Amino acid sequence: MTITASRPTTTEKKKAAAPAPRRTFGKWPLTVLLGLVSILTVSPFLVMLVVALSPASSPTVPAQWPSELTFDNLVRTLSASGFIGWTMNSLIYALVSVVIILITASMAGYAFAKKRFPGRDALLWVFLATMMVPFQATLIPTFVLVSDLGGIDTYWGLIVPTLANSQAVFLMRQFIKDLPDELFDAARVDGASEWLVYWRIVVPLTKPILATLGVFVFLWHWNDFLWPLVAAQGDALRTLTVGLTTLRGEEVPLAVLMASATISVLPCLLVFALLQRYLVNSIAMTGLK
Amino acid sequence: MTGLLFVLPMLVLFLIFRIAPTLGAAGMSLTDYKVSGEWSFVGVDNYARLLDDPLFLASLRTTLLYVAIYVPLTMLVSLGTALMLNAAIYAKGLFRGMLFLPYVTSFVLAGVIWRWIYEFDGLLNGLLAKVDLGPVGFLEQSSLVLPALAVVSVWKGFGYSMLILLAGLKSIPGSYLEAARVDGASAWQRFRRITLPLLRPALFFVLIIETIGAFQTFDTIYVMTGGGPARASYTLIYGLYEQGFKFFDFGYAATLGMVLFAMVLIVSLVQRRLLDRGTS
Repeated sequence: MTITASRPTTTEKKKAAAPAPRRTFGKWPLTVLLGLVSILTVSPFLVMLVVALSPASSPTVPAQWPSELTFDNLVRTLSASGFIGWTMNSLIYALVSVVIILITASMAGYAFAKKRFPGRDALLWVFLATMMVPFQATLIPTFVLVSDLGGIDTYWGLIVPTLANSQAVFLMRQFIKDLPDELFDAARVDGASEWLVYWRIVVPLTKPILATLGVFVFLWHWNDFLWPLVAAQGDALRTLTVGLTTLRGEEVPLAVLMASATISVLPCLLVFALLQRYLVNSIAMTGLK
Repeated sequence: MTGLLFVLPMLVLFLIFRIAPTLGAAGMSLTDYKVSGEWSFVGVDNYARLLDDPLFLASLRTTLLYVAIYVPLTMLVSLGTALMLNAAIYAKGLFRGMLFLPYVTSFVLAGVIWRWIYEFDGLLNGLLAKVDLGPVGFLEQSSLVLPALAVVSVWKGFGYSMLILLAGLKSIPGSYLEAARVDGASAWQRFRRITLPLLRPALFFVLIIETIGAFQTFDTIYVMTGGGPARASYTLIYGLYEQGFKFFDFGYAATLGMVLFAMVLIVSLVQRRLLDRGTS
């Protein structure tokens, strides 16, 4: 499933489909049906937004449309100190993870793809094998380990255990493998050190895949729940996902809950709006999850 | 040797936070490790306890039932949307974007929104009331809670499988379908005899990924039901979480983790076996 294999066939299909409209399933019924399914899919977000913008006291959809829209709930959410703290924690958790994973995974990916060293294939196999172990299966020992090292309720305890990411290593290795060896050899002949080769050749040439991986790592961490839930026992280190689950019951009006949910999803929507193409292409190519 | 230096940072992270906990899980499952850190070796007692633990056996049944509901549903939705997108002519990119949107959000967010959608005074019952139906206790009725949870996970996750299947559909040469059309094959025959067989590898990949994912469903259950009502949505992972962080029985919780690992391993090995057979 490579992008080079799929591109010609799409144009081919377009050419084939355009002059001869399908008789069995017309193009307009299909467009309408697809439109309805698409609107149905995004409708939970739309009602979330409507409720978030409704006055907190009055009944709302579906009983009646709000008589007026207000930003009160969003303002109230953003001025709650807890919420700001959760957002900061989520940002730190996601952004620090992105930076460290991009550096360590691209270094490891480069070595696995282009360098020879003793035990390389065995190590690669071990990395691959760990992908089969679900994180939940190791949740308890990871918690005990971090707890023994004094990492519960610390940023490093929250972040560091989630950095060992074999998918990131494999993605980088796959991409770097396809780069021509001559590039690296030429630089070495010119006397560049291995670090220089990495910084001057590997990093610039892998920018598109680093961007893609960065987006995925950001989303994985921003949306992560189980590890932040157990790694942050107190309120100080709660991330947004964990914080959202504490907002419930009578003390939080529905409109404020939905306002919090709306703000929590904004970074994902921003990433989606700007980088949808990267996400879509990389899933189609590699099955990156 | 510089190669090893480049691998070193990731390798250290791996040894400490992946390999050690994996071995630790196996070791811990043979102990009665308590939250205090005290433990003694108990052999296979934890595994024997599994067989006599009605809560565990019920959670295993619930997990498998959930998989049986979720996997076919998400396969159907992702295949259906992928087929429509592949055949669509207008506004393809827009529709693909809208369908993919829930995938970039979190299961927690999905849980928060859908908890309200399912509530007695929530969106769905409000709509049902307009046609004089309901109210339905989607999350309050044992028979409805697993399908209701499955719908939330399908909604949140189908965009990913849809894209995999869409890429698979696009790699089917248009000339095959065109030739069949010229030969007078109906749309159904073309789908059944050409599209479906050629899509099999992508379908299989999605099936495996979704099954493994379904075993691990936790966030939506935590947010929406807490394993209820009457433990009707109490899955293996929820049990693991409770044993670990409510009862602090770490040894037993680690054993439940090993059960999850075994389940994922079996699915992965079946996949490997079938893939090998397919390529040889």
